[in-house]
Amino acid sequence: MIVTYNWIKEFVDCDLPPAELSHLLTMLGLEVERMETIGGEMDDVVVAQVVEKNQHPNADKLSLCKVDSGKEIVTVVCGAQNFKAGDKVALAQIGATLPGDFKIKRSKIRGEESCGMLCSEKELALSLESAGIMILPEDFRLGTPLFDALGTKDTVFEIGLTPNRADCLSVVGVAREIAAKLGNKVHYPGLEVPEDGAPIETIASVTINAPDLCPRYTARHITGCTLAESPAWLSNRLRAAGIRSINNIVDVTNYVLLEYGHPLHAFDFKLLAGGKIVVAAAADGEKFVTLDGQERELNSSDLTIRDGEKGVALAGIMGGGNSEIGEGTTEVLLESAYFNPSAIRKTSKRLGIHTESSHRFERGTDVAGLTRALDRAAALIAELSGGKIAKGVIDVYPQPIEPRVITARVPRINAVSGLSLTDAQVKDIFQRLEFEVTETETCVFQVRVPLFRVDLEREIDLVEEVVRLNGFEKVQATLPRASVFSDLPSDALRLAARVKDLLVSQGLSEVINYSFVAPSSCDRILLGEDDFRRKGVPLLNPLSDELSVMRTTLLPGLLETAVKNISVRTMSLRIFEMRRIYLPVQDKELLDEPLYVSALLTGNREPEGWNQAKGEIDFFDVKGIVENVLADLNVTSASYSAEQLDPYYHPGKACRVMCGNRQLGSFGELHPTVQENYGIASPLYYLELNFGALIGARKKQGTAQVPSRFPSTFRDIALLLPLETPVADVVSCVNGVKAAELEGVEIFDLYTGGNIPAGQKSIAIRVRYGSKERTLTDDEVTRLHQRVTDALVKKLNVSFR
Amino acid sequence: MSHFFFFQDIGSLNMKDKLEALLGEALSELGAASTEEGLQELRVKYLGKKGALTGIMKGLGSLSAEERPLVGQVVNTVKGKLEEAFDSRAVEIRESVKAARLSAERIDVTLPGRRRAVGSKHPITLVTEEICAIFAALGFAVAEGPEVEHDFYNFEALNFPKDHPARDMQDTFFVGENVLLRTHTSPVQVRTMLKQPPPVRIIAPGTVYRCDSDATHSPMFHQIEGLMVDKGITFGDLKGILTLFISQLFGSDIGVRLRPSFFPFTEPSAEVDIACVICRGKGCRVCKETGWLEILGAGMVDPEVYRHVGYDAELYTGFAFGMGIERIAMLKYGIADMRLLFENDLRFLKQF
Repeated sequence: MIVTYNWIKEFVDCDLPPAELSHLLTMLGLEVERMETIGGEMDDVVVAQVVEKNQHPNADKLSLCKVDSGKEIVTVVCGAQNFKAGDKVALAQIGATLPGDFKIKRSKIRGEESCGMLCSEKELALSLESAGIMILPEDFRLGTPLFDALGTKDTVFEIGLTPNRADCLSVVGVAREIAAKLGNKVHYPGLEVPEDGAPIETIASVTINAPDLCPRYTARHITGCTLAESPAWLSNRLRAAGIRSINNIVDVTNYVLLEYGHPLHAFDFKLLAGGKIVVAAAADGEKFVTLDGQERELNSSDLTIRDGEKGVALAGIMGGGNSEIGEGTTEVLLESAYFNPSAIRKTSKRLGIHTESSHRFERGTDVAGLTRALDRAAALIAELSGGKIAKGVIDVYPQPIEPRVITARVPRINAVSGLSLTDAQVKDIFQRLEFEVTETETCVFQVRVPLFRVDLEREIDLVEEVVRLNGFEKVQATLPRASVFSDLPSDALRLAARVKDLLVSQGLSEVINYSFVAPSSCDRILLGEDDFRRKGVPLLNPLSDELSVMRTTLLPGLLETAVKNISVRTMSLRIFEMRRIYLPVQDKELLDEPLYVSALLTGNREPEGWNQAKGEIDFFDVKGIVENVLADLNVTSASYSAEQLDPYYHPGKACRVMCGNRQLGSFGELHPTVQENYGIASPLYYLELNFGALIGARKKQGTAQVPSRFPSTFRDIALLLPLETPVADVVSCVNGVKAAELEGVEIFDLYTGGNIPAGQKSIAIRVRYGSKERTLTDDEVTRLHQRVTDALVKKLNVSFR
Repeated sequence: MSHFFFFQDIGSLNMKDKLEALLGEALSELGAASTEEGLQELRVKYLGKKGALTGIMKGLGSLSAEERPLVGQVVNTVKGKLEEAFDSRAVEIRESVKAARLSAERIDVTLPGRRRAVGSKHPITLVTEEICAIFAALGFAVAEGPEVEHDFYNFEALNFPKDHPARDMQDTFFVGENVLLRTHTSPVQVRTMLKQPPPVRIIAPGTVYRCDSDATHSPMFHQIEGLMVDKGITFGDLKGILTLFISQLFGSDIGVRLRPSFFPFTEPSAEVDIACVICRGKGCRVCKETGWLEILGAGMVDPEVYRHVGYDAELYTGFAFGMGIERIAMLKYGIADMRLLFENDLRFLKQF
């Protein structure tokens, strides 16, 4: 909402300079988002006096003048003829910038130097047309910036109003706030209405058929109007507020709307059949052409203004083309009414029309003060258009709305705010805000709130008013005397942060993708027709198709991220995302939102460099990450199954992570078709873990083990076994040997081909033996090792090399 | 092989002089030796079983009984001196060999080191963790709620009536008539209060959504909500907690101000500004020349919210606040365009 400094000062006495006023408004809750001086940027245009006017030696139509700028005499070449020596003129000095970003520079015109320019009104954007340069009044002081001298220098405040403060959608509203803060009174100039003519009742009539939607309708009649362009002062202010000037009648209604915050409508009275106004709901399916030329289809919840025959305005939102002020308008019926806010909002939303008028009506206007706006506008129209105002006002107000009375307890105000205000202080604040206050018992006030404050309904609203007007800065910062209680972050959240740290330490970078994805992503990751992940919940109003379905897997987002990075030549990627997915639940409105941790890797295992190990990421890099995560979370009972893989995996290079029958996640190389679908050249490795399932599979941290003080011994075995036998069987076979001295087994080599028989593989394992009591003798180790080799032969039928 | 001589004619020469000569000669040869091998050869030559000194000692037998101990003593002295000289020369040679090796082994330390891949946390995560840690120290527990939410929790219970202009403040994504993507983390307040009686002291970090996308708006972003309800909590306490929080996050010298604002679920409501971290309050483009940056919305919990959750508004008071993580991350790291945070360009993310 835009107001200007000078405009405000017409309603309230205020000596504060613009910057301080801006701060005062902001601290009252009327945040000044932008402050701009108009005219100030043209301070280099000054009042000057023509000392000499001579003919330009080389041009018939130009004159060569000597001009006194108040500081010096300069030479200026001028093309206008409408002035003489001794005239006061507007001189744009070297360095000035005129509207249209026209910079004044020293120049030579037909061989004569010109140090500035004598300006016309048009060149200064003070009017649309002008004949010759601007001649200023005699009494203007030399050297004064022109806009100071003209008094048109002003400051524009753009206020970011919160939706509750409908009362401040006007110059008067803002002035009221300033008056309350400064302890001044608001004055309302220009309300004297020079009535002249027949009583209005003999000219026009108003009937309200829908008093619930329109509780009050007032009107005035003006005749003998001459439609014309508005004077500069009016159109300038409209322009500052971003409203285009149309004509002197329409402009006045807009001007008063900005000034009083009350929307008005002017009808061409001669176009109202029977001189009648009927306020009534539209008929279902009724067609109506609004001022913007669009035909709208109305229904019975839309309120219309009608004459004897037809709809003439969409109440409170926009007038109709059929009664518009235009060429030939001489008689005006001026409407000032109060419409039900939620009715206006419904119609405005449904039809998609948002106007200055609907914006105010839907937030609530001042039902009591609407005649003030009517009078102000009538007087201005009469003044500017030469019209005569009929005697009296039509005021249909069948059931006057009573102001609210709210109980306010001073102790309550202090308890919520932490202030220690006295009764007198609170009362003073209420009175400054134009509330009527009666103290019914000690510390308890009955507060009658004026009707323009539509936002005040409850005691807490008055608490806010007191704290606000008293000043937030006066509230002392304290620390709460809280009951002793506190919770540590939940286990899950703490562990989630820990998993992120672990992944970062494994060289993975965290990414965050949007939670919504393209529906086509399900196809691109090869999900089957019946896959539950195709049941992602669509948004009813997505920003685009690409962002239209709540994701059911983190994979597409990670793939998109990979594509983006590869396109800027980041070829090796290790990324992870730890976020929710969104799964619909049968017969429930809300979704299941499990937290997943997923990662995507591709390219080189190590950073590139002159001395870095070469090699590309493979399945076992991803498995190592999974194993580290499981170990860190103390999930000790996980197993890996290569069965029933998700369709996006390479069928031979992926597995599921199981804990008993529960799937914790899966990982592996992505299917080459997925790779192709995203246009990525190198193999991709992916893991996804259901974080909730991981937490559920954790084993409690056991008692810490004391390591043996005696050295352990190891024996290596190289063995041959069928290609299809999983190495895990060898490990579990060794671990199955019941001996306290068996400390562990590692695989340190795997070999196929060469001299290994076809269909066989060779693995080398190292078995560790040790005791907590002593160093084992060679004989003891040999006996233990024999048991291990026996078990391998017996259970797995291996042969040793 | 250098000049060599044997003392075969001992009786005719002065033994002592010979020994002195031998010592002098050995010492000078030894001084010239530059390798451990060379030194070893000299050691054999002079002190070995067939060495010069042994040769002289063999000649002792031909001396008279009076001469023998005297010359023997000289022999021992010479032998001791030689051994000492050999030892110290050996140390010298080892040191100089080491020094030569060290100087030959010089590498180019400007070559890059051998690195393991190191990852990074997303700036949103970093800022969230930092803020949560500050509030954890102030005794706030962490609460969570669904992102796909009922209208009731997101709006209705927070005193946003249907068809109220206040709903225009938040452009909402819908998935059903009454189901939407939460537009703020405030529904967690409602869920928490419905679950437990007062006192309550929580923060709720989370993802939120609004249909809006430009340099300063993202359709998905993050907030942290805070709520404290107990007997006797005041607006002054809100001011105190937030001032403390801001001084922890941005430094104790940063200016803070609260100014009146409007949220349907708090009253009185405040916007919290900090002095612009870019221009320190002088006015710049980031703060739109105001010197202040808005970073938080806050206020006293509105009685209407208590009514929805069944708290006694006469008995309990409390405050709520909410902040945008992106906004704080952008200020902390000097990021001008919010979209950068969701482009996931690793060249950007690796900086954190």
